[in-house]
Amino acid sequence: MKLHVVFSLAGAEYALPFDAVLQMESYTGATLVPGSAAYVDGIVTVRGLVVPVLDLRTRFGLPRTELNLDTRLIVTESDGRVVALRVDSAREVLKLDVEKHQPAPSIVSERSSGFVQAVHPLGNRLLLLLDLPKLLGENSHDLKLRALLEDNGSNTRPQLPS
Amino acid sequence: MTGAADLKEFIAAYLVEAEEHLTVANTQLLAIEDAQRSGETNPRAVRETFRSIHTIKGLSAMVGIEPVVAIAHRMENFLRDSDRSGGALPQPAIEALLRGVRAIEQRIAALSRGDAAAAPSDELLVALDSLGLAAPIRPLEAVAIDLDPALLAKLAPFEVDQLRRGINAGQRALRAEFSPSPELAAQGLTINSVRTRIATVSEIVRVLPRALPVSPEAPGGLCFVLILLTRSSDEVLAETAGLNRASFQSIARDLPVPAPEAELVPLLEAALDGAEDGKLDTHSRRGVVRVDVSRLDDAMEGLSALIVTRFRLARSIAVLTERGVNTRELSEIMNDNARQLRDLRAAIVRVRMVPVSELLERIPLLVRGLGRSTGRTVRLELEAGNAELDKAVSERLFPVIVHLVRNAVDHAMETPDERLRRNKPEEGLLRIGCSARSNTRLEITVSDDGRGIDRAAVARKAGRPTPDDDAGLLELLCIPGLSTREIVTTTSGRGMGMEIVKRTIVDELGGELEVHSQLGQGTTFTLRVPLTISIVDAFSFECGEQRFVVPVTMVDEIIEVDPNALVQVPANDDGSPGVEIVSRRGVAVPMIQLAQVFRLKTGPKRGSKAIVVRRAGTPVAFAVDRMLGQQEVVIRPINDALVRAPGVSGATDLGDGRPTLVLDLVALSASLGSAPALPARTR
Repeated sequence: MKLHVVFSLAGAEYALPFDAVLQMESYTGATLVPGSAAYVDGIVTVRGLVVPVLDLRTRFGLPRTELNLDTRLIVTESDGRVVALRVDSAREVLKLDVEKHQPAPSIVSERSSGFVQAVHPLGNRLLLLLDLPKLLGENSHDLKLRALLEDNGSNTRPQLPS
Repeated sequence: MTGAADLKEFIAAYLVEAEEHLTVANTQLLAIEDAQRSGETNPRAVRETFRSIHTIKGLSAMVGIEPVVAIAHRMENFLRDSDRSGGALPQPAIEALLRGVRAIEQRIAALSRGDAAAAPSDELLVALDSLGLAAPIRPLEAVAIDLDPALLAKLAPFEVDQLRRGINAGQRALRAEFSPSPELAAQGLTINSVRTRIATVSEIVRVLPRALPVSPEAPGGLCFVLILLTRSSDEVLAETAGLNRASFQSIARDLPVPAPEAELVPLLEAALDGAEDGKLDTHSRRGVVRVDVSRLDDAMEGLSALIVTRFRLARSIAVLTERGVNTRELSEIMNDNARQLRDLRAAIVRVRMVPVSELLERIPLLVRGLGRSTGRTVRLELEAGNAELDKAVSERLFPVIVHLVRNAVDHAMETPDERLRRNKPEEGLLRIGCSARSNTRLEITVSDDGRGIDRAAVARKAGRPTPDDDAGLLELLCIPGLSTREIVTTTSGRGMGMEIVKRTIVDELGGELEVHSQLGQGTTFTLRVPLTISIVDAFSFECGEQRFVVPVTMVDEIIEVDPNALVQVPANDDGSPGVEIVSRRGVAVPMIQLAQVFRLKTGPKRGSKAIVVRRAGTPVAFAVDRMLGQQEVVIRPINDALVRAPGVSGATDLGDGRPTLVLDLVALSASLGSAPALPARTR
């Protein structure tokens, strides 16, 4: 059994492993970054880190909604990257039996650009499990230059405290 | 190691101590006022105020802050008179003294900001002068006080000082002895009556009780030694006090007046010796160079240029390799070069680091002062370890630690009596620990074993529900304007100011703040901060209803834009934004509407100012809506590919808790030169 954070988006329910979630926050808007992709709302500061906000509706090709009191940011960490996901609402933390995850039917996986990794039936509900790294996409900035600049434990790369 | 640099270091300690004494003076003056309202005097508070102001004056003279000396000197004179006359202080005098304290506070605040202390207004000086008879300041001359060392040791430094000043002012310093006995008491001579009588013809510096073997002269086995300053003769004194003339002895030894120039240095050394011994070890500082941080930034910038050159070199080598040239040797050189650059970078970063122990070395002084002024006995445990911290981080961290220490002693620690009642050791324990959590973060804990924070009480004060954990408590504590002083204790000092702590640690430094408090057991604050940060002086401006900052060093000029003087250049048909031309001192400068490039909403004040930068020597102007100001900002990197954009070099916090983009307009102009406009956002 593993803890999962459950959130909803356009009527569907999604689950993320609890250990990939750093925290959840209410959302009052982000600072727009010119030139970023349409599904990026901008940046916010979380625990002193500058973190991008990914609007899951736009990422999934769904119509955007206005901010409301239910809107939540789920701050996730995957492969050392910290990204906040904007979702319609997030209210539940559930224990899910990982054994009961079912691979997403290929048509679902294909139609969702591979973002949906598995499904999890729970009573008469169906939770969709996301492939977080795939969702966030490649982190393809100039790795070489940064590696050189940031070797030896330098300052500029933010590191979340353990 | 120059005198000036040492003095500068001493000034930091001076500021901390002066603030402490100002707090005391304020509190005591208010206590005097309270007493005055109910028609009473509060001689103790007058004496405390006198001490504080006296100390401030002494410290200020030592570091050469003349405006503060001028104010404090006048206050001190008046307070001394008041002290002598039993602590009477009329309301107008209290007003004037509070004004004086405020004036000193303002100057201390200016010095903390690195500004000069302004000369006091004549009006204030006259107001203070008119309180009493302000004597001109005389240089403190060395006068030996001829007193039994055991007695001398019991005198407070300010009392010795008082004696020296009196002697310098032409008064005689005397000691008198009085041994109480039933016979004398029958004649109405007790220590209290002697004291009262003698005070009419002299200034009593101190009365010291002394145990003696029982003898006919001292039937109670006790005598009192009175240390006096007077202008009266022994006859008058003896007559007035009802004592034997022989019981008065001079304690001033005549000395030739020393050369005045020699004074500042020994005084300063004495102060430093007395401060925190060992920490200012001159040997370990030999061969130390003090460097302006901006010079290190220059070095770092130079290194960045080197790295870019290296990449160009690497590309050229790759091209050669493709053409079939043997580049093995070149590649080896390149590898060496990479390693050397890495080492160089580490070396430059290291130069900026200062030991955490240096940051904390002023804390014992602070704790001592706080303990004294609040009547707490505090044992301080400092564990600075060997960790090092960027100078810029350290400078921002220090006031936060001072805040937390002050709160711990002022508010958290119980009085010794209360502690004993609660079965705690009489002495409170304050622990400051430091440890490097990783090679990028430092963790600092400030813990006390005081009364702990009452969540319910804080919640009531904030008008919120009681939090059920420490995180919730911290949130409450950091509500701006919430002072928990009234709930936690009413002793003294200022409110918690936790919102400032949070702003500095979390918003400015990008660190973390935690609290763990257990009612009755104590409180621990944990701070985690990055070891280094990068700070620049930047202009902030508004464009398309969004705020941005740009480093000052990047800006050539800021110009007003006259829309009528703009010349529109025909645009490409690829949808990229058109360029305009503005004439600047007869040179045509291309001007780019930043709002257009960034696809921002444009406001009514569209493009009324322009920021001119130079790209490879050629000026380029960016039109913006409004300039907001100039300030130092801490730059946070934007690392994630999702939000990397040309022209955006990082983010900062202008104090609203939201990130503001830091722009690299030079890079932006370069990206515009080669590529079409940024893709339109679908909004």
